[in-house]
Amino acid sequence: MTRVASNRDDAIRALAAARHLPDSHRERWLALERRSRGAFLELAESLRLRTGQIVIALDLLGEIAVRENKSAADILTSPALARIAQRAGSAPSRARAFIEALRALRFPRLGEATARLEDAIGELRLPRGISIVLPRELGSDVLTIKFELSRASDLDRAMGVVTERRAAIARILAMLGGSDEV
Amino acid sequence: MKFDLDAVFIEQGERESALARRVVAALPERVPVEYIADGREAARARVGADPFDAGKRRMVLMRRRAPFLMSCPAGSARFACCGYLVMVLASNCPMDCSYCFLQEFVADNPGFQVFSNYADSFDELERMIHSTPERHFRIGTGELADSLAFDTLTGLTRDLVGFFAARDTLTLELKTKTDEIENLLALDPRGRVLVSWTLSPEKVWRTCEHRTASPAARIAAARRVMDAGYRVAFHFDPMIAYDGAEHDYAELIDNVLDVIPAAQIGFFSIGGLRMTPALRAAARRRWPADPMLLGEDVLANDGRLRAFTPLRLKLYRILAERFARAGAKVPGYLCMESASVHERVFGVAPANPAATGERLALGQDLR
Repeated sequence: MTRVASNRDDAIRALAAARHLPDSHRERWLALERRSRGAFLELAESLRLRTGQIVIALDLLGEIAVRENKSAADILTSPALARIAQRAGSAPSRARAFIEALRALRFPRLGEATARLEDAIGELRLPRGISIVLPRELGSDVLTIKFELSRASDLDRAMGVVTERRAAIARILAMLGGSDEV
Repeated sequence: MKFDLDAVFIEQGERESALARRVVAALPERVPVEYIADGREAARARVGADPFDAGKRRMVLMRRRAPFLMSCPAGSARFACCGYLVMVLASNCPMDCSYCFLQEFVADNPGFQVFSNYADSFDELERMIHSTPERHFRIGTGELADSLAFDTLTGLTRDLVGFFAARDTLTLELKTKTDEIENLLALDPRGRVLVSWTLSPEKVWRTCEHRTASPAARIAAARRVMDAGYRVAFHFDPMIAYDGAEHDYAELIDNVLDVIPAAQIGFFSIGGLRMTPALRAAARRRWPADPMLLGEDVLANDGRLRAFTPLRLKLYRILAERFARAGAKVPGYLCMESASVHERVFGVAPANPAATGERLALGQDLR
């Protein structure tokens, strides 16, 4: 092992110890190839990633790397992630954006499908007190329609709004059932 | 023998059983045979760094102490089930699919058990027939084991086909990923035996389905048993939602229909890859480089990780439509999915599990 590599690995161990990173994740980090270990260390330091964020990031990175057959370094230097690392803003906000961007890379079609469904819900222009809630992570085919009511007349109004938009809501249900481009 | 064995353990009390005699006679000399007092200990033994894999090569011939017949373990009130009854003649499997639920299900019991008193299951079946003589049942041996793997060694199908061929209200389903059909070809099923293959596209087979027959070999085997008088069926389960899956599954169905006329297919089933978090962790530990285990899976409300709903249902629909276009009505159902998902895919909700099971046994349309 060269002195540089040894210093880098020592720095990883030191950061892992400071953050109380689980042994399994420290070892996973150290098992990455040289360039990837270094790239992740640089990011973890510059974004001041917290323990949970390091754990999530290592999990997501590992999964993306296997699925896309890329190294962690290649993923970390992709334009979407590099932009976040270099942009202005506080370290915590950039750290959050980094995790979100990794999640988007791990679940690209889920992100697109969710955005399309949210757009379709937005187009309904529902008044205050009525909302349509998508299943968590699109994990089921059940759409929730929520009324927040304080008067009986609110109920009539809410029912009227939903009835009026029945066809559009049915289309959202169909999208949830996969009848849209996914 | 098409699969490797490191050793065979035989319970002393079962030494003279028909199964033990057949296995010992057919076993290659290099495989040691050990006689033991209680097979359960050998079945529980955790050998080596990967006890599940080692268990696949440690065959244990032993008495089954529990009933042989049970409802399908995948069944649940939240799903629209197919009414499948399971006959447990063996547990574990010599093949090693990276997604297999046995990695979790038999983790504490990894030895490859084959139950020497399997003929007792026929008594259970007789009692069932007598208690409900008007009903038809579909009974399979391929839930906790592959129905045909090692059949050239154990010869189980000879007795099974003989028993079911003589009973008009029972249909035996032999579910497999092998092409180990030699014994079947010499038997007359009299329309009472259905052989089903789990099928995946070439890409899934190469990545995940270790030691299984290729998809082309399975389809060719299906054609041969069909020509020998068996009914055939196909399970596209687990269906994996990888990039390009839409095209590959559609092509796979075309490959099936090129060889097997749609009218000759008893039914097809589809089930998206689903894994409990514990199973996923076990599978990832054993197959860390398998990209098929890393789809866009989310935690569904049954506590399993599945491809997110619109993606999964879109794939279901593509498969169902491909069969619908085939020119003959092939009955199809979904495994471990709700009635509403069935309705979205097939246009109507399914009947109750008992009725569905009966229709599948009789080869009737489900809708």
